[in-house]
Amino acid sequence: MAVVVEQTQEPVGGSAVHRLSATLFRRPRVRLAALLALPTTWLVVVYLAALFSLLATAFFSVDSFTNAVVRTLTLQNFHDVLSDPAYLQATVRTVAIAATVTVLCTLLGFPMAFFIAKIAPLRWRGLLVALVVTPLWAAYLVKVYAWQAMVQPDTGVLAWLLRPIGLSGPGYGATATILTLSYLWLPYMILPIYAGLQRLPDSLVDASGDLGATPLRTLRSVVLPLIYPSVVAGSVFTFSLSLGDYITVQIVGGQTQMIGNIVYQNYTGNLPFAAAIATIPVVIMVIYLTLVRRTGALDNL
Amino acid sequence: MAFGLAFIYVPLAVVLINSFNVSTVFAWPPRGFTTKWWTSAIGNDSIRQAVLTSVEVGLVATTAALVMGTLIAFGLGRYSFFGRQTLSLLVVLPIALPGIVTALAFRTAFRTILGIELSIWTVAVAHATFAMVVVYNNVVARLRRMGNVAEEASMDLGANTFTTFRLITFPLLRGAMVAGALLAFGLSFDEIVVTLFTAPPGVTTLPIWIFQNLSRPNQAPVVNVVAAVLVVASIIPIYLSQRLAGDTTAGGRI
Repeated sequence: MAVVVEQTQEPVGGSAVHRLSATLFRRPRVRLAALLALPTTWLVVVYLAALFSLLATAFFSVDSFTNAVVRTLTLQNFHDVLSDPAYLQATVRTVAIAATVTVLCTLLGFPMAFFIAKIAPLRWRGLLVALVVTPLWAAYLVKVYAWQAMVQPDTGVLAWLLRPIGLSGPGYGATATILTLSYLWLPYMILPIYAGLQRLPDSLVDASGDLGATPLRTLRSVVLPLIYPSVVAGSVFTFSLSLGDYITVQIVGGQTQMIGNIVYQNYTGNLPFAAAIATIPVVIMVIYLTLVRRTGALDNL
Repeated sequence: MAFGLAFIYVPLAVVLINSFNVSTVFAWPPRGFTTKWWTSAIGNDSIRQAVLTSVEVGLVATTAALVMGTLIAFGLGRYSFFGRQTLSLLVVLPIALPGIVTALAFRTAFRTILGIELSIWTVAVAHATFAMVVVYNNVVARLRRMGNVAEEASMDLGANTFTTFRLITFPLLRGAMVAGALLAFGLSFDEIVVTLFTAPPGVTTLPIWIFQNLSRPNQAPVVNVVAAVLVVASIIPIYLSQRLAGDTTAGGRI
């Protein structure tokens, strides 16, 4: 019926559109190709090519006289990275900071997520989630700037708060970096755990209690095993984001150096060397993702 | 919970209060109240220029991300094909890898391999690549929830593919698309690492402006005001995306 109506209204254009429509309907592969052509080309040509050029550049070198990039393959950059213990130390320090941030975010994020999902009255839930999420949209730099004000030696807010009990603030350094990074990435930990807890039926917790388990035992034997994949999903964010950070360290880290700082210091002068350094976080992330893949956490991302 | 919320909001409150501080160097507690920094920030040309640059980059990147994110959401959400897993990994890779890796990758591609001059366009291309993810996340979630019953009904009643899209699919998706675009814009507006690596010296977005002025002591009061404005402004995308999409508890940022 509709076809007839359309043909009487638009005898030429209508039938052409109709034919195209019918062809698309009969050939899902053509539809799929039309949908994916542009974005896939973009991702492959722009993004994958960029990643590949990063990898290729890591094997190039720099002309010491003109500072221009020389496109002959060499392992010199990797040799330099591996032979200088300073870079190994920076890597260990970066991983340690990222791991501490992840642990802190979990310790702080789990109780908050648990409160929102299981304890708070239903009508508060939306508001509490919004309260946790809103700071995600406050600018990154503003949050780091806020923490600069918090940790500043002598005149910072923490120093002011701690003075009455005879302590001084953390000042700039690794502690300040860890605090600031934990602050930045906390919502990335709370949200996956919250989503996981929402999927966890209350009846399981009740049943565990009815069978005589103490709240602690219920937490350890029922809640934590079921929530574990969500925690891992959150940790992928907190770990990866901390691993690549250099701006926070630059602002509140004092003398502390992370992998990101070394990349940043070298990218104008010696791009190939910076590229070689930048492969370190990629390798660490690949190892981390392979390790956690078995938990099934990646399906939650 | 109370401690957690205090941990989240005390630093932001400090930024807000500090923008009214009389003193030019930061020292807690504040010495007195003034609004003169707000007046001087509003009249500041370099801030206005930086906001304008950020908006330009954001609009270009958001448009590209919206188109590609929606297309890829349809492709991955509605079809199963060889390489689907790989492609869905590739979409989230730009935000799953550390920012500095993505940033340096774009820089090496633009400068060393392609040899093109950095410009506002290279920034926009880089931004569009990671902003695509939030559009994709929002649209694919909506596609999953709405199913294709309404669309099949429309086809059964004789509407062709295009009419169905115009009258059924698009109206159902519109909210998720707008929310995704909004979040993409927010992501681009806030981005600093990738911007620093892909922008030429003349192009200053708002985050770059803040970063440059953070270390200049005489600019501190004005930076405070900009920071305070951004804290307040962070409520807007959350509010709008909740109104529009209804279901983006995560704000789509994850």
